Amino acid sequence: MSSHRQASVGFVLRVVGLGLVVALAAIGAGAVVVRMRDGLMVTQLTQHVPWGLWIGLYIYFIGLSAGAFLLSTLIYVFGVRRLEAAGPTALIQALGCMLIALFLIFVDLGHPWRFLNVFLYWNPSSVLAWECLFYTGYVIIILGELFLLLRVPLAVRAQEGGPLAGLFRLLALTREVPDAAWRAKAARWVRILGLIGIPVAIGVHGGTGAIFAVAKARPNWFSGLFPIIFLVSALASGGGLLTLLTAAFHRAPPEKKYGLVRQLAFLTVGFIALDALLLGSEVLVTEYGEIVHEEIGWQLVMFGPFWWVFWFVQLGCGLIVPVLLVALPTRRSTAWLGVAGASVAVGILGTRLNIVIPPLIQPALEGLTTAYHHPRFAWGYFPSTNEWLVGLGAIAWGILAFLAARAILPLEPTEDRPAAEPSA
Amino acid sequence: MEDSSSRRNFLLGGAAGVGAVALATEGCMLQPYRQRDAVSHRWGMVIDLKRCIACRACGMACKMENKTPPGVAYGVFLEQDIGQYPHVQKRAFFRPCFQCAKSSCAKVCPTGATYHRPDGIVAVDYERCIGCRYCIAACPYGARSFDYGYDYIEDAENPYNAIPSAEYGAAYGLRQKGKSPIGNVRKCTFCLHLQDEEGQYREAPACARTCMGRAIHFGDLADPEGKCLVHGESLQELLCRRGHYRLKEELGNEPAVYYLPW
Repeated sequence: MSSHRQASVGFVLRVVGLGLVVALAAIGAGAVVVRMRDGLMVTQLTQHVPWGLWIGLYIYFIGLSAGAFLLSTLIYVFGVRRLEAAGPTALIQALGCMLIALFLIFVDLGHPWRFLNVFLYWNPSSVLAWECLFYTGYVIIILGELFLLLRVPLAVRAQEGGPLAGLFRLLALTREVPDAAWRAKAARWVRILGLIGIPVAIGVHGGTGAIFAVAKARPNWFSGLFPIIFLVSALASGGGLLTLLTAAFHRAPPEKKYGLVRQLAFLTVGFIALDALLLGSEVLVTEYGEIVHEEIGWQLVMFGPFWWVFWFVQLGCGLIVPVLLVALPTRRSTAWLGVAGASVAVGILGTRLNIVIPPLIQPALEGLTTAYHHPRFAWGYFPSTNEWLVGLGAIAWGILAFLAARAILPLEPTEDRPAAEPSA
Repeated sequence: MEDSSSRRNFLLGGAAGVGAVALATEGCMLQPYRQRDAVSHRWGMVIDLKRCIACRACGMACKMENKTPPGVAYGVFLEQDIGQYPHVQKRAFFRPCFQCAKSSCAKVCPTGATYHRPDGIVAVDYERCIGCRYCIAACPYGARSFDYGYDYIEDAENPYNAIPSAEYGAAYGLRQKGKSPIGNVRKCTFCLHLQDEEGQYREAPACARTCMGRAIHFGDLADPEGKCLVHGESLQELLCRRGHYRLKEELGNEPAVYYLPW
């Protein structure tokens, strides 16, 4: 009786959650239409803060993607077999998050439909131009790896028939199940692609950090540590989200699943620790130096109007909560470890926003905010309704895309599937 | 002798070949940087702060000459109160774009839409610009504005709206929603449109012409005999006689605008 009620509560929650996500996705789509019609007028960006919520989310998703991809290379390049079951999910996360990130830069452009100019008139002295090449190569590598990994199970499913058999055949690009020789070749190529993917993923996220780090006009960005912080926090956030996704959705026997989630959660906490070390170094050196224009940025982060983002989101969710959940007896529960992963993923969102916005707030020259009386020259920045809705919409699309991919694609090893069905 | 020179030529050829291969995708993108080496002019300003009376007419003249929309500013007049009573001081100065020799904006522009002209002026190709605003984030002097699409007068039939901005020879025509320069990043070009076909100024940029204290001198800094096009003083002499400085010199951007102190 009680288990029946529990099941129905779970069902209601799932329906409500899904309804909410679908609603957000629809509203977000509407907001994108408004943004495309009215241009960047719909944002609250200023001449001093030219990048805001969308760019914060863009680097966040790039981090989630690169982190998940680098974790997948542990499996496919370095042969860490205990993580193997999470591999395809990691690659799907890497692909989905990358596509959301690319979409977010697209809506952020003043002339979005000219995005191809980046390739047509490629400027070798621009880090951003190099990043566009890295992003393209990176997406191709992920697609290649996914194809090689999923072709066999897709072909098997295509042969099993059903309404989606045609789709599976199309994705597998074959009617026959590939033979053992092809599988051996595919395994080698996954390894090679993963190997190429390592410098590319480092270029994708470290390079995204470098976009900011090379801007000497912004003292809080201009640091050699910056791209490294980007990479480490990418690994932390990517690991966090992968922990959550595995804990929530992975179909495997409970013991096996717990082992996998535990590995991921512990790995994530390791990256958090390294991230905290780098952050501490950056803050302490800056504060000790007392160079005014560098200090202002950190003062804004820690004690400015949005001080709570640093203390509660960045440090609370991103560092303290996950470390406690992994240190306390909660570490024996798959669900709590999933919460720890979610907490990291949320916390690093705060980190990303603090990376983009506060260093821009202080105008390049004293007096610029009062020299010209117009809202676009005013001090400060807070995202507009449209910016929030587009941002939330992008997240909702990501969730829906992941749910769809999980429902359709064979992401788990086949031997785990039937045994786990009742518990899921 | 002949041998070594031919070897050098061979090496040079090889280096050029490597360079050409590296740039094969878009050879012309480095053009602005290459042209910089063969400077004919180096248009620049010497701003005498002793003469400035803080009337702000420079900023106003800039607005009118370039017909910049609301929220877009090329040259601005910056004012700052410093110190505590009774030791207070007002600091004020005009800031056009400094047309840096080693500009941060052109360096970071992913499409090369912002480029260096041979005469040192940093200009923007609005058709190529995708509006990513990296240049705004990278400019150490806050000299760039994104055109969000505001208008002083909404009514399209109004005579004011029938006059195109003179910049770039009025090449971009009347303002239309979603069309360049709306959605682009814009900047001061030392009133480039006032140059004739030979690249000489028919008249000096609006800010320099309008300055009633004769504080803004404009001319060719590459010419040792270069004179201010408005007032006739020798630019090099002004720089030599008075102490001068450029803003944020330590960043190494090499601005073409010098200030003569109070």
